[in-house]
Amino acid sequence: MNSTEKLVMMANQIAANLAHDDDPAKATAEHIHLFWDPRMKAMIDAHGEAGLSPIAASALTKLDQPG
Amino acid sequence: MTFQRQPDFGTRASREGAQVTLTIDGRDVTVPAGTTVMRAAAEQGADIPRLCATDSLEGFGSCRLCLVAIDGRKGTPASCTTPVEPDMIVRTQTPHLAKLRKGVMELYISDHPLDCLTCAANGDCELQDQAGAVGLRDVRYSSDATHLGQAKDHSNPYFDFDPSKCIVCSRCVRACDEVQGTLALTIEGRGFGSKVSAGLTSDNFLGSECVSCGACVQACPTATLIEKKVVEIGTPERAVVTTCAYCGVGCTFRAEMRGEQVVRMVPWKDGKANRGHSCVKGRFAWGYAQHQERILKPMIRASIDQPWREVEWDEAFAYAASELNRINAKYGKHALGGITSSRCTNEETFLVQKLVRAGFGNNNVDTCARVCHSPTGYGLKTTFGTSAGTQDFDSVEDSDVMLVIGANPTDGHPVFASRMKKRLRAGAKLIVIDPRRIDMVRTPHIEADYHLPLRPGTNVAVLTAMAHVIVTEGLADETFIRERCDWDEYSHWAEFVSQSRNSPETLAPVTQVPASDLRAAARLYATGGNGAIYYGLGVTEHSQGSSTVMAIANLAMATGNIGRRGVGVNPLRGQNNVQGACDMGSFPHELSGYRHISDGETRRLFEADWGVPIDPEPGLRIPNMLDAAVDGVFKAIYIQGEDILQSDPDTKHVSAGLAAMECVIVHDLFLNETANYAHIFLPGSTFLEKNGTFTNAERRIQPVRKVMTPLNGLEDWEVTQRLAQAMGLDWSYTHPSEIMDEVARLTPTFAGVSFDRLDAEGSLQWPVNAANPDGSPIMHIDGFVRGKGKFVVTDYVPTDEKTGPRFPLLLTTGRILSHYNVGAQTRRTENVVWHPEDLLEIHPIDAEDRGLKSGDWVKLASRSGETTLRATVTDRVAPGVVYTTFHHPATQANVVTTEYSDWATNCPEYKVTAVQISASNGPTDWQEDYEALSERSRRIEAVSAE
Amino acid sequence: MKVRISDDAAARACGADSIAAAFAQAGAAVERVSSWGMQWLEPLVEIEGVGYGSVTLDDVPAILGRRAKSIGPIEDHPFIARQTRLTFARAGKTRPLSLEDYAATGGWQGLVKAREIGPAAIVETVLQSGLRGRGGAGFPAGIKWKTVADAEGTRKYIVCNADEGDSGTFADRMVMEGDPFMLIEGMAIAGLAVGAGKGFVYIRSEYPHAVAKMEAAIRLCAHLIVPFEIEVRVGAGAYVCGEETSLLNSLEGKRGEVRAKPPLPAHKGLFGCPTAINNVLTLAAVPWILANGAQAYAAFGMGRSRGTKPIQLAGNIKHGGLFETAFGITLGELINDIGGGTASGRPVRAVQVGGPLGAYHPPADFHLPFDYEAFTEANGLIGHGGIVVFDESVNMAKQARFALEFCAIESCGKCTPCRLGSTRGVETLDRIIAGENVEANLALIADLSETMKFGSLCALGGFAPYPVMSAITHFPEDFVLREKP
Repeated sequence: MNSTEKLVMMANQIAANLAHDDDPAKATAEHIHLFWDPRMKAMIDAHGEAGLSPIAASALTKLDQPG
Repeated sequence: MTFQRQPDFGTRASREGAQVTLTIDGRDVTVPAGTTVMRAAAEQGADIPRLCATDSLEGFGSCRLCLVAIDGRKGTPASCTTPVEPDMIVRTQTPHLAKLRKGVMELYISDHPLDCLTCAANGDCELQDQAGAVGLRDVRYSSDATHLGQAKDHSNPYFDFDPSKCIVCSRCVRACDEVQGTLALTIEGRGFGSKVSAGLTSDNFLGSECVSCGACVQACPTATLIEKKVVEIGTPERAVVTTCAYCGVGCTFRAEMRGEQVVRMVPWKDGKANRGHSCVKGRFAWGYAQHQERILKPMIRASIDQPWREVEWDEAFAYAASELNRINAKYGKHALGGITSSRCTNEETFLVQKLVRAGFGNNNVDTCARVCHSPTGYGLKTTFGTSAGTQDFDSVEDSDVMLVIGANPTDGHPVFASRMKKRLRAGAKLIVIDPRRIDMVRTPHIEADYHLPLRPGTNVAVLTAMAHVIVTEGLADETFIRERCDWDEYSHWAEFVSQSRNSPETLAPVTQVPASDLRAAARLYATGGNGAIYYGLGVTEHSQGSSTVMAIANLAMATGNIGRRGVGVNPLRGQNNVQGACDMGSFPHELSGYRHISDGETRRLFEADWGVPIDPEPGLRIPNMLDAAVDGVFKAIYIQGEDILQSDPDTKHVSAGLAAMECVIVHDLFLNETANYAHIFLPGSTFLEKNGTFTNAERRIQPVRKVMTPLNGLEDWEVTQRLAQAMGLDWSYTHPSEIMDEVARLTPTFAGVSFDRLDAEGSLQWPVNAANPDGSPIMHIDGFVRGKGKFVVTDYVPTDEKTGPRFPLLLTTGRILSHYNVGAQTRRTENVVWHPEDLLEIHPIDAEDRGLKSGDWVKLASRSGETTLRATVTDRVAPGVVYTTFHHPATQANVVTTEYSDWATNCPEYKVTAVQISASNGPTDWQEDYEALSERSRRIEAVSAE
Repeated sequence: MKVRISDDAAARACGADSIAAAFAQAGAAVERVSSWGMQWLEPLVEIEGVGYGSVTLDDVPAILGRRAKSIGPIEDHPFIARQTRLTFARAGKTRPLSLEDYAATGGWQGLVKAREIGPAAIVETVLQSGLRGRGGAGFPAGIKWKTVADAEGTRKYIVCNADEGDSGTFADRMVMEGDPFMLIEGMAIAGLAVGAGKGFVYIRSEYPHAVAKMEAAIRLCAHLIVPFEIEVRVGAGAYVCGEETSLLNSLEGKRGEVRAKPPLPAHKGLFGCPTAINNVLTLAAVPWILANGAQAYAAFGMGRSRGTKPIQLAGNIKHGGLFETAFGITLGELINDIGGGTASGRPVRAVQVGGPLGAYHPPADFHLPFDYEAFTEANGLIGHGGIVVFDESVNMAKQARFALEFCAIESCGKCTPCRLGSTRGVETLDRIIAGENVEANLALIADLSETMKFGSLCALGGFAPYPVMSAITHFPEDFVLREKP
């Protein structure tokens, strides 16, 4: 598993665990914002939606506008 | 300080509130009701002669030296078993009493060797003292029968048992029963033939159930049970109180010294974490500090295939700084990072993260808590508002129900386990949730009311099912919830857990826990009085580690088990300073006191103090650092006191990451496994060689005191400071107290902490600030730190790690009493006699399927890697589950563990790995290759004569 | 024709079983009953109230033919007629395991009364009766019960101490073998009084017949004492387990080691719960007291020793047996008038009262009334009421040594004076007997006795000096005769 694949897995995992939040995509984006290093955020941003769950994919679009 | 034994008041302090006034030898004495006459006298400085009494034990009344005269009472009652009464008039010395005491002492000495001058306890013997105190001048008996000349038992590596010197006071037996709770010792025979025995006549101490906690040795008033070191060295001449560097219980000890040599470590009775008790590690296993394999000179090399070259400190720092600066210039500042250690002091940890943030200019700092309790930080911060356990250890004395999940206290936290066991023996109920039948499930005089042997990886399902029972059966504490928590969030959560898919019956096929047991356990926890949850790494080291922590918090809030003695959520911390390392801002997203790096106000506070800008973005976590290293963008790391190669999961990936770096600085006591990939080795100092503080699992900050000069010349904080100075930082700390002053200045929860206060008060439990000037033994008393307690829905998300045809078994890992973590310390002590190698526990059915028996070499394989070790066949594990420890590098159990981790924190999923077990003839290729690499990498160039 | 023969262990030891079989074979209807307690007459055969003593197989036809010499009506035998049998009222008269016999002779009336008046009144009745612990310590039973009744605790226990280990004693055994329902009734009343739901009878392992009878009796009457439950536990041969706290440890499955007091068993006894622990005779006296009233019982006795005491006459005595009488009878009356002097016919030299750790009394003490306080004053004790008689052939130095040897063998080993002192005492007496430094060693024994008496944790070590010092005091000639020059 390379680093990007790992990040996709991590994002999906976060999304799955926050699925019961009022706004799961927002919560996922917030989590990534708070705990991921900028390079990781950039990598997944560059990678795009492939392999991401719907929540994680939606979170990705909110990463640029945290909060 | 000259050497003195700690004062002994003979019997325990009374916890009763009412005061009683009596007269002892003409003086009025006021003490709490329930105090014995002996203690009341001792507190006045009037020591009544005694031998069988010591204040760690219940009164026993056997030696008959402490007899007193009480007006209006017949006979001569024993003061150790006579409670004070109002207006009692006691005389501790009369001609009659004096004669009786002499009579008793004459009997003792008629059966005791008269070799005081050559006795190891000479000068530190209560029998000797008391013979003097009662004025015995003559022994008139010509003894025919004696107990002299019996063989000594030298079997225990740390203490000797000489039955010839035994006065049969039963203190050792009672200490084993009452304090340690192992009940390994007994009095064998009766009458004159009574003697102390470690079980059957055929048993010696080593072969018995003795766990070598040392309580018996401490309790022994003579040289009968005595430390081998005292026999070898002699009695100590001074004592320094310091804090143990092993587990998160944080026992305090008196390091009893002769010169700069430790004679023995004796648990400090005033220590609030351990209350005078100890385990085999803290009490005895400190010999690693003088182990021949310790590295005492800095070493450097250009690449890891070269041998090490010893250099002076200056050269080492200059080389390290130049390498770090070179990499910074070439790859940018984000290519650098550091790892703090939970084994080091708060002050050292604070400096390492400061070096990274202020010196390297990024937030690439992480700590070994990443791989143990990071989910605790996340989970408790989210639900309660602070990343710490809610109770002090004393709280357990008021618990009615203990729920132990994913923790093995008798092995991992033995001293606290003894306190739990004491409370359980007094009638508290016990629920154990663990895949293995840990000792707490059934141990002398204790049997868990419920043991839920869940399938590894299903913690969240089990806890949610418990919540289901509590909510649907109307057992939730609505008053508490309405008052203290967010009701809407509770309602949302309650609705979720009430769904039938979360019922114990629905989840039983997943968890493999019988629904009826789970229901009964949930009812017991909810309705059995004060319910306290204790958990360990079996909770955190999962893909849903953080969810499990929050599920635990949910249960505690739903039942109102928060905010008073006897209840709470209590993470049992693995290493001595996990709590402290986290408190000090070791995580890449947080500054000290758990304040997020994105918080501008906090950053500005630090920027003003440190005079440098602080990066507002979180840095890399350990696994992310390794990924980035493999990707070629992370190039240099400073690792203080941690052996990530052995302790972190997926060893092959760790080694690939380390191998890809250009500058690996290892700062440690020994050439550990990680050092095989290091370019610079900075020798570390042991806890005996430095000043500082550790913070234990109950948020208790305790002093670590230097009892000897560092063998390498520098305390660890000085090493970090010298490295920082070499990099151009203008640090000028002259003592760790100044570092703590800085922490206090920058961290609201530590505002009231200082070395002066710690010296005066012994310890402080944070938060210590204007709102809590004396510290905080119990948190969330009047409200949660975050305001309202937050219920978080914890849906069970199965791990991706699944068994299948290739890997049909689940491996879970843990540790054992005699070893600590990667064993770097304990493997270099006599503790190896108890556990010389890691063993694989496998159920008889699985062993039978594979034709294995105990003692066979087996291959343990996962998709990550494979290793070999020996099997032990036991039904302690369920069919389908295997278990091992990770104490020995020869096994490298983490070769097998995977890259999977907790969703919120990346804490590795150590506790669930799909594996296959098969018969094996010898080491795997990996083990052989690694052994060769190790041998090559550890070469040290012979120093040429100058 | 109904032939009544005891099935008590003493009768059986004298051949009662084969005598009974012979009667049965001869066509007689044999009824096995409890023992009258005239042990020198066992096997005692009773036909229509008339007794035939020391019966042999050869006597059977003559007895059946009414040709044999009888002792006359048993009730009129002076040994029986002189007694005041309250506790042993049924002795010799009923079948031990017959609920019918028991009920017909006033059985269960105490329990009926107890249920009627309730716990507080039961305790008060026992208090008023003046009943004191018959095990030896003589502590007022009512006060003990009140302490247990008042103690806090959801679980409480009744423990019956049936570890009858004193030399020359057999009254407990006779109760358990001869009238087990009475003991059960007493325990049930005690349970009611203190609020205990469960009782244990701790019986010494040397009493297999008592164990069997008690177990059978408990099964037979379980329905009559519910909800109270009783369980029999058998000791393991340690004398010290007759000491109440050792007994409790043994019951708990622990080493039979003495516990320090406080806490009193009444506060923290069996398994840490409030426990009323009483001797067999104490509990067995209770049904009579409840059925007949406190005053009726207290009317017997002297001073602070109220009621009757079952005294056991043993050793070298002509008429050995169970003699229940009101307190106050003198030692001399017991030994000479009732016991008929020694069995050997030689003059009495010493009498040990109160078991192996009781004092040796010379005939000069025969004026002493059987009373707790009178004996205490005379440096003795009445203990469990066992009297062992010695004639002039006894060597009192050896008896003193025996007392300490017994103590050494039976010491639990907990407290120093008893654990070490008993052995050192034996060694020192051996030197005295061998004539070594007699004066100095006698002084050492006196000091040791003081250490043991005042320093020991329990009565085992604390009373061992009684036989030793009384032997030295009253029979000094036995300690100095053989002094070497």
